[in-house]
Amino acid sequence: MTTETVLRPAAERQYAAELAALAQADDRPRPPRWRLSPQAVVRYVLGGTLPDGTVITPKYVGDRRLVEIAVGTLVTDRALLLVGVPGTAKSWLSEHLAAAVSGDSTLVVQGTAGTGEEQVRYGWNYARLIAEGPSEAALVPSPVLTAMRTGAVARVEELTRMPAEVQDSFITILSEKALPVPELGLQVQAVPGFTVIATANDRDRGVNQMSSALARRFNTVVLPPPATEDDEVQIVASRAAQLGRALELPAEPPALEEVRRVVRIFRELRNGSTVDGRTQLKRPSGSLSTAEAISVVTSGMALAGHFGDGTITADELASGLQGAVVKDRVSDTAAWQEYLEAVVKERADWRDLYRACQGW
Amino acid sequence: MADLPERVTLLGIRHHGPGSARMVAEALERVQPELVLIEGPPEGDALLDHVPDLVPPVALLLHDEADPSRAAFWPFAEFSPEWRAMVWANTSTVPVRFFDLAAAASLSDDDPTSPATDPASPDEPRRASLDPLGTLAAAAGFDDPERWWEDVVEHHTDPADLAEAVAEAMTALREEFADEVDDRTLRREAAMRRNLRQALKDTDGPIVVVCGAWHVPALRTLPPASADNALLKGLPRRKISGTWVPWSHGKLATASGYGAGIDSPGWYAHLWECAPAADAVPRWFARACTVLRAEDLPASTAGAVEAVRLADTLAALRGRPSPGLSEVMESARAVLCNGDDTPLRLIHTRLVVGERLGEVGENVPTSPLAADLNRLTRRLRLPLNAEPKQIRLDLRKDTDRERSKLLRRLEVLDVPWGTPDTTRSIGTFAEAWQLHWRPEFAVSLATAARHGTTVEAAARQVLTTQAATATRVVEAAETLSRSVGCELPEAVTASRTALDRCAAAATDALELLSALPDLATTVRYGSVRGTDPDLLRVALHGLLTRGAVGLPLACRAIDDDTAERALAAINGAEDATRLAADEDHQETWQQALKALVNMQDAHGLPGGRATRLLWETGVLDSEAVATRLHRATTQAAGATAFVAGFLRGSAALLTADPRLFAVVDDWLTDLAATDFEAALPLLRRAITEFSPAERRMLGDRVKGSTRSTTTETTWDEPLATRLTTHVKALLSTPPPNITQSSDIQDLRPLADSRVP
Repeated sequence: MTTETVLRPAAERQYAAELAALAQADDRPRPPRWRLSPQAVVRYVLGGTLPDGTVITPKYVGDRRLVEIAVGTLVTDRALLLVGVPGTAKSWLSEHLAAAVSGDSTLVVQGTAGTGEEQVRYGWNYARLIAEGPSEAALVPSPVLTAMRTGAVARVEELTRMPAEVQDSFITILSEKALPVPELGLQVQAVPGFTVIATANDRDRGVNQMSSALARRFNTVVLPPPATEDDEVQIVASRAAQLGRALELPAEPPALEEVRRVVRIFRELRNGSTVDGRTQLKRPSGSLSTAEAISVVTSGMALAGHFGDGTITADELASGLQGAVVKDRVSDTAAWQEYLEAVVKERADWRDLYRACQGW
Repeated sequence: MADLPERVTLLGIRHHGPGSARMVAEALERVQPELVLIEGPPEGDALLDHVPDLVPPVALLLHDEADPSRAAFWPFAEFSPEWRAMVWANTSTVPVRFFDLAAAASLSDDDPTSPATDPASPDEPRRASLDPLGTLAAAAGFDDPERWWEDVVEHHTDPADLAEAVAEAMTALREEFADEVDDRTLRREAAMRRNLRQALKDTDGPIVVVCGAWHVPALRTLPPASADNALLKGLPRRKISGTWVPWSHGKLATASGYGAGIDSPGWYAHLWECAPAADAVPRWFARACTVLRAEDLPASTAGAVEAVRLADTLAALRGRPSPGLSEVMESARAVLCNGDDTPLRLIHTRLVVGERLGEVGENVPTSPLAADLNRLTRRLRLPLNAEPKQIRLDLRKDTDRERSKLLRRLEVLDVPWGTPDTTRSIGTFAEAWQLHWRPEFAVSLATAARHGTTVEAAARQVLTTQAATATRVVEAAETLSRSVGCELPEAVTASRTALDRCAAAATDALELLSALPDLATTVRYGSVRGTDPDLLRVALHGLLTRGAVGLPLACRAIDDDTAERALAAINGAEDATRLAADEDHQETWQQALKALVNMQDAHGLPGGRATRLLWETGVLDSEAVATRLHRATTQAAGATAFVAGFLRGSAALLTADPRLFAVVDDWLTDLAATDFEAALPLLRRAITEFSPAERRMLGDRVKGSTRSTTTETTWDEPLATRLTTHVKALLSTPPPNITQSSDIQDLRPLADSRVP
């Protein structure tokens, strides 16, 4: 199977068994070209147990309502915009929604400052264009065009990083559900099932602010950072374990206590105060997202597996923590040192972490 | 135990539930009863005739005649089932009665300190320690009892057989939680049964009973009357009177602290209004768009279309019969608000809660005082609005002056409908007010009714009583200034007398002085207010003279707290003297300050402040000040206080004024090394009250990095002269619209120093 040969299989491959079981058990009406009914999609994302005993793992831990609004938006063939600070599982949710709805999460346009219109609309195979003149065979469809033809979900990552004029080429696609190709004198009409899931980052809004004409064509769902420490611990622990398996790390998944420690440090620095609210803290410049907490834990696992005894201790976490918190050498170092001295040192059972961090 | 006769129809409802309201309306049409009983206090029966004169939301206000502040409200909205029953009975001319426990009894259970909480009516079970609706909802798999009720009852399309289902569910619940029912509920239900027996005697026709669902099981059987009578024995009797008062949607919302409220009165009203046309959701989004557009936020019709589609899809996805409040709000956020909470809050305040205020017709009996207020608001065109509103009044115009008078008099009566807005600049002739009518003012009005039959008479009565009972100068002075504001000559005279009386008896100079600022303001505005300012100025001078004489002594041998008070009193008195006293008395005040400065054993804080004030007016020269600063540092105890008193609150001045800076600078540089070390902690403590920014400014000034304002600076000489002359001219006669004379005194040395 190919799943074993790639580093990170697409969602519809990794969770093929779950999707198949859901489709099997699903008796509700499905919108045109949907693989699952909307209710089944919600269940796929939030997890649960099917009547036949298949366990569906939760993909997104958080407010059920948000997922329902997202799925509801896709049912009404409106485009969905997921907004949030970095690391709030926007792309993660978008990938799983696409996988569950159309069984294909690979129709992706990655937004960068260099993204051009041909990646959103279509390009040309120039050799053919010159040899044969404009023809459909010379047309190179973008993922969006492919999705329109097949009635699938197209994903747009980091929409606001694209130049504004490229963003605006979505306007016609989203409102008319059609893409004219003037060179061939034809118009590609989207078939039912086509829709777009875009992600955008709150903090980078200023980069290429979306025009209000485009914003109006999206339903917006704001993904918040995990509401409680327990939620976040659950996310970090389960993702770290999955990643550890995927990367074949020799270490065991870390004890919940270590994960909780990392999550607490991240939450406290993010919120600018300790959990008990008694100590005010400097906020580092980085976003300190859940995703970064996950990577601290997995890198700790890698260290422990290859250079340690296979179990994560404070020593393995220290280096990762330092790297995640200190993004700006001067100001963040100050914030981190202050946190170590004022908070970590004072917690009796955190002494090992304090000592480990001092070494760095 | 006798079962209830067939001819009685029990309708278990949820208070303020539009679904229940539909059920009640339908059941009444079907049964065509000859008598309707409604949960509520029987004392309100007489007021039920006025239902046609009312526009909901309104509340029944009942209060104890002997003690009007002991009062309670029973609010009803357009969509309240009880209200529907009243309206139906009224239009079909069928007798209708309240049949709950008498307010005479329920009012005494209630904590008299919180008259605004409703003791008797809605949703009793939800306030008990047990939440029966929550239990039912949880059993049905709902996380939110409101949603459960909405789905099962409010969205129920066929209300006919609903009553029976509700009754059964509640019976099961009551059996399960029999222990949780408190005595008061049992007493109320006994009263309900007693009134029901009476009703059965009075008529042979069908009877419809409208009461909270929780009580239905208790009314299904009638135990022997003697048992109920035993429960109801010995309840207090009192004379209750009442009226209808306008209520607001905001007050119905739980958020305002009304215990049995509902979260979304605006939404329920909307549901009720749209039920006949069955277009609740589209109309809701149309209204949401209107709200957003009114605030210049983009909201397109196309957006509303998409929002309706999303709301419908969400409802289907969640298996609900039709979109509820959470669905419409969620889709409004995703589609109309771009995920932003700020515009969503706007929709919440305007639509979900709403600020509708009810109306009570003229024929409804009210206290003469309330009637007078109504007359006045109509005459002065000041409608009672539930939404806060800013107004500006020009006191030179008659109408505006009358309005200001009314607002001030109401304030005296504990009805703070308007709050004076002091943050905006206010001249002698202009006043800014923030108007916000709250329905609970009705209680204060009822309480004030015993003071008089008109607003004017009641305010006069309250003020003269206050004047007569005043024992302290400050109280008397405050009463005086309020009387002047209310333009009540009798009250002014009475409080003048009270002020003289208190001043004569007062032994504390500080108390006398602290009454001055208030009085000074009154003197300045007195003329606008139709009171002779000279009359007041005489009072001011009297207080000033007495206070000035006592000041030095009052600053001797006192602790630090009293010294703080003395400092505040001196500051206030200084301002007041500049503002309102004549030259003779300004002189008297200066003499008092001099005496204070020369007194060796005075507390440092007032002493330092007096030194500074005298230096500013030029009575003391810089050298004398330096001497005093030196002397202060040599005595260990009072030194900090002296320096603090001297410098308090003048960081900006110290930075900007080279003269003052020089005084302090010279003093510091003259200190011997050992003395300097000794003075350092004092100085440090003296300037701890400066803000960090001020300290930084000061530090820059010392380093010389700020642009100094000394004579080296080049400027256009003639221009500077013209400017300073102008400023001096302004300062020599304080303009009428400057109320804080401290602005002036802070400027004066600055202006002087710029003259080359």
